[in-house]
Amino acid sequence: MSVIAETVRPHHTLWGDAFTRLKRNRVALAGGIIILLVALGAIIVPFVSPYKFDQQDLNVVLHSPSHGHLMGTDGLGRDVFTRLFYGARTSLMVGVFAQVICLLIGLPIGAFSAYASQRVDNLIMRFVDVVFAFPDLLLIILIRAILGGSIYMIFLAIGLVSWVNIARLVRGQILSLKQRDFATAARAMGGSSTYITLRHLLPNSLGPVIVYVTFGIPRAIFAEAALSYIGIGIKPPTPSWGTMIANGYENIFAAPYLVLIPAVAVGVLMLAFTFLGDGLRDALDPRLRR
Amino acid sequence: MGALLQVRDLSTSFYTQDGVVKAVERVSYEVANGETIALVGESGCGKTVSALSIMRLIAEPPGKIVSGQVVFDGTDLLKLSKADMHKVRGARIAMIFQEPMTSLNPVLTIGRQITEALEIHRGMKQSDALDEAVRLLELVGIPQARRRAKDLPHHFSGGMRQRVMIAIAISCQPKLILADEPTTALDVTIQAQLLEMLHNLTKDLDAAIVLITHNLGIVARYASRVYVMYAGRIVEHGPALAVYHDPKHPYTEGLLRSVPRLDEPRSVRLAPIEGQPPDLIALKSGCAFYPRCSQAESQCGEESLDLVEVAPGHYTSCRSVLKGERR
Repeated sequence: MSVIAETVRPHHTLWGDAFTRLKRNRVALAGGIIILLVALGAIIVPFVSPYKFDQQDLNVVLHSPSHGHLMGTDGLGRDVFTRLFYGARTSLMVGVFAQVICLLIGLPIGAFSAYASQRVDNLIMRFVDVVFAFPDLLLIILIRAILGGSIYMIFLAIGLVSWVNIARLVRGQILSLKQRDFATAARAMGGSSTYITLRHLLPNSLGPVIVYVTFGIPRAIFAEAALSYIGIGIKPPTPSWGTMIANGYENIFAAPYLVLIPAVAVGVLMLAFTFLGDGLRDALDPRLRR
Repeated sequence: MGALLQVRDLSTSFYTQDGVVKAVERVSYEVANGETIALVGESGCGKTVSALSIMRLIAEPPGKIVSGQVVFDGTDLLKLSKADMHKVRGARIAMIFQEPMTSLNPVLTIGRQITEALEIHRGMKQSDALDEAVRLLELVGIPQARRRAKDLPHHFSGGMRQRVMIAIAISCQPKLILADEPTTALDVTIQAQLLEMLHNLTKDLDAAIVLITHNLGIVARYASRVYVMYAGRIVEHGPALAVYHDPKHPYTEGLLRSVPRLDEPRSVRLAPIEGQPPDLIALKSGCAFYPRCSQAESQCGEESLDLVEVAPGHYTSCRSVLKGERR
């Protein structure tokens, strides 16, 4: 007995297990590191850059990358390197906060729909279908027209058009979890429907939701870039990768790097999030637990 | 001696695309305080559905409790409101499920899953509930209980999980435990340990058990009375020993003959029951066992009998056995 008592096994928590598996996945790890680096750059850029993002210098308009300007300057003589990392702030903020709004709307609606009676569930899901079928861009333009043009309203606009997927995901998860033995066991234990939905079913559905959100962040980043590109996104002079591409486009033959640099940045960050999402999906899948 | 649980004429049906499945048909049984009874029968005969009906855990739709009464401690559970039913489940009637591997929530710690019943039904504070959970885990034989309470279900083996399920079931000191094939998923040595433990624990609590099983060996050891189910009905019931040594229904005889015995020479072949259990959708009016019965008479195919007492406390629904008794 004393021998048994002394062999203490390492204690694993659910999320600890997932993290261990995530660390083993090199591609996902690389994605995570890229995201952290971009985030770090976005945070420290005002302290290390000698330029301000809206500081114009008409003596150095459209200069190619050099010592003074690592990534050159744009059509108004602003430092592209500085603007790129300020743009990363916008992108990361849009990516994260749009998904937070998605979660805040989608999670409760999905969970409630699965918990409610069939008629209410049907009603909610048909409403979700309508939102889903409505063209995203049109809805965003509409919301922007009503709510105005601040950066927060962009979070809200993107969140308001993309919560439906999370609502559907959560509802589907909970409906299928409801059939599992442990849900029956919890009911036999005396839990009410509300209690079981919140304490047993919702936490079990979070794995796929986290993965979905990770994939949703690059979509939101791309959406913001697209909106800014067509001029209904971030208001100048605040830099965003979308506006940088749009502005660079005017001088694409004189200074192709003006388009190239922010476009590559969008691509790399999206890819990093996608890799991380892939890794998370594998890490959180209980069937792969070893 | 008043019965703790009286199930009277309980019928539960499932309304499926192919027709109405009468999974449980006019089933009646009784359990006295502290008594252990067994429900025996092959897969799909309605044992589990009858237990789920008592707990009102039949999914509606497609299922529905069509008629009957479930009188527990003087109140008909089928008439209780949802909220009152929540107070019965887990607190006064607990259930142990067949599959320990899937009956625990994979993302909650074991300790948390025991304390939730304590918090819901006994109004305990979290820290007190945890102490009680640790005590319960020790009671069901889990070493290093305080440490293990922080572990998740997938850190436990099947037998350990079933111990946890038993700890959850007895946590609120229920008067009745519905054990739905509690050891079917486990290997034989663990089965014996767990049943012995369940038996002793419930004795201390003075709780009654409805033991649902298809293992006749278990029945002989623990149950005082046996109900044999076939095709959703009870075909025979009586004191365990009487049913064993002097079965009054050809189906029970068939079941007993198909169990290997240690006291018989190995050359004796097992005698399986010929044929398949009937389709519960297309059930004929006669005795459900008629097509497979070796003693069947032509009348059996037309009309089924209600249970009739053939010996003290021993009931059967078999026509030919009755005739034989009267002769």
